[in-house]
Parts: sequence; C-alpha cells; structure tokens
Amino acid sequence: MIRVLVIATLIAAFAGSGGVALAQPAPPRPMPRQPNMPVPAQVQPKRVPAPPFAQPGPARAGVTEHPAGVSDPHYDKLESDGQGMALVFWLFALITVGGALFVITRRNLIAAVMGMVGAFVGIAAVYMMLYASFLAVLQMLVYAGAIMVLFVFVIMILNRPEDEPVAPSGRAGGVLGGIAIIYLVARLGMVLVHVTPPDEHLANQAPAQVQLAPTSADEPGELVAWGSVKAVGNDLFGPGLFPFEAISILLLVAVVGAIAIARPLKEVDAETGGDGP
Amino acid sequence: MSLVFHIGYGHFLVLAAVLFLIGVGGVLLRRNALIILMSVELMLNAANMTLVTFSRMWGNTSALSAHTFALIVIGVAAAEAAVGLAIVVAVFRGRRSVEVDKLTTLRH
Repeated sequence: MIRVLVIATLIAAFAGSGGVALAQPAPPRPMPRQPNMPVPAQVQPKRVPAPPFAQPGPARAGVTEHPAGVSDPHYDKLESDGQGMALVFWLFALITVGGALFVITRRNLIAAVMGMVGAFVGIAAVYMMLYASFLAVLQMLVYAGAIMVLFVFVIMILNRPEDEPVAPSGRAGGVLGGIAIIYLVARLGMVLVHVTPPDEHLANQAPAQVQLAPTSADEPGELVAWGSVKAVGNDLFGPGLFPFEAISILLLVAVVGAIAIARPLKEVDAETGGDGP
Repeated sequence: MSLVFHIGYGHFLVLAAVLFLIGVGGVLLRRNALIILMSVELMLNAANMTLVTFSRMWGNTSALSAHTFALIVIGVAAAEAAVGLAIVVAVFRGRRSVEVDKLTTLRH
C-alpha cells in the first residue's frame, strides 16, 4: 500500500518536473527502509536512500528522487522540515525522557528498570535517526538486553520491597536547586539549539559514504554507507584496533573482578562474622 | 514554531543534555545504590548520543569514528555495571541494605 503510494507520488513528481525527467529511464524503485545498503564499488557514489524513520508517505510527498547527476541538498538532509520526522523525533524524545524520569522517580525498582528499558528503546531510535544503525542495534542488544537483565537479576536477588523515594532536603534547598536546574537547562537549550555544523553543506547532506581500505592494489576500497556494520567494522579493525582489544581485556578483568567481589563469603568467615573474603 | 517542526542537530544535543541532567539528578537525589547505577548508565548513554550527533555533524572526516568510540563506551558501561552490581550484592550481603547513606564505615 505504502509502496504503491510512493510510486504514484514519484511518477507524479517526475511527470511534473518536465521533459528532462521524463526522458530518463523509469525511476528507480525507492528503497525506503535500508539506509545502509552497501553500494558496489563500481557504482558512482550514490545518495543513501531515505532514513528508516521517514517512510516515504504523505509527509515526504514533496521529496522526489532526482535523476542521476542532479543533487538536491534538501533531499534526505537531517534538518528536514518534514512533519513526519518531527513527529517521530518528539515521540522518541518523549519516550526517552519519560523513561529516564521514571527511573529516578519510582520507588519500585522493577518499575525503574522498565522505565530504563523504555529510555534505551528511545535512545536506539534516536541513533537510527542519526543514521547510526549498527549502534542502534547494539544499544538494544547490550543495554536493553544484557545490562537490564543483569539489573533485574540483582534486584530479584536483593528482593527489597520498597525504597525510600528521595533524600530529604530543606525547602530552601529545593527552591534553590529548582532555580539552578531551570536556569541550567534553559541556558543549555539556548546554546545547543543554535549549534551550527562546521560544514553546512556536508552536514546537511545524507551521511557521506565511507571508503574502506583497499583489499588489493589495483582497485580502490569499497564505498559503504556511514554508520553501517561494514564501515564500523573497518574502523574497529583499522585505527580502532587497540581500543577494541583493550576493551576485551577490560571486560575480562571486570568479569573476574565481579566474580571475586560477589563470591559468597567463605565458611570460616561466615562463622567468625568476618567481613571480607 | 520552526523549533518544533525543524529538527536539527541541536535537538539531539538538547535531548542528550536533558538525559544527562536526569542522570545527574538521579545520582544526587536517590539513595538506593541500584538507582544510582542506573542513573550512571543514563549519563553514559547521553554522552554516547552526543558523540554520535557530533560525528554525524562533522561527516566522516575523522579516522576514528564516533561509532568506535561509542562502542568502547558501551563496553566500559557493561564492565561498570557488572562490577558495580557485584559490589552492591557484596555490600548487601554484609549489611542487608543498599542505601548509600548508611555506608559510613570509612567515615572518621
């Protein structure tokens, strides 16, 4: 249904844009939801298709796919006026902030963890909006999967029924803290909203493609989409190799340390009431 | 009105900043060690989001992209959660409480 709508929109737009477009072969089929499809090396650098959050629909009806050679700086740029994009952004921003507020306001720890999962889902969607699809998937797997399971396990091991809500503070402290927080947020928002990218042209385009290291001497490296698994993997095993290996050592140390810390106390210590292993 | 319908990089940065502030608030206000750990995770996520936004903003000019950096931050966060939760379990085993206000043994 959506596909039919898209094709109809494209045809209408092409028909309206004059003879040049009509002389072109049939418009390529839109590939709406895979921004990071690897592009074969021999193909000229092509604009990455629409991001996954912005399904071509009524909200993007004005955006057309241009024939080769014509670059439209408004196509696919991040700062789009599309109301669909704005709607999706606000939706997931609401989920993220709401989940985070849930975390720090709930008394029930399991409810806090569920809010945390909501916040992580929102963050993953925000990564998707920034074209970082690999990171979005990783966010879901590592955070919403592994780390949250760890938290739930510990909460169930501890089995504390309720928690004190917040540390008490005086009325003056609350007022002062509230004023300080409001001021800080306002200033931060004013600064950050007006942040300008260093290279307007580059930043407003669809993410540039990354050229991988050449595998053989006679042909250049493959062009892959920014943020895709290939690009990140090439980075990880190229300039990022040392941090990548260091993080594995760190994880090993952390696992050994966690086991050493959380190990049950020895029998002798338990009998004598000792405090350490 | 253009701030509502015109989503730019600043929106993502503000979202990350708000997330970070919520994490700071959790660390400062709550006394449960588990909530504090979760707030720290929130702050790390906000930092990650900022990294990715700036990387997207600058294009792909740097050798070490923010994706690698964010990946490392995720790894550090996982390690931190594992060790932190182990410490929480150990503390709870000794004291039957995870309130950070009650951990005053090292105070003199």
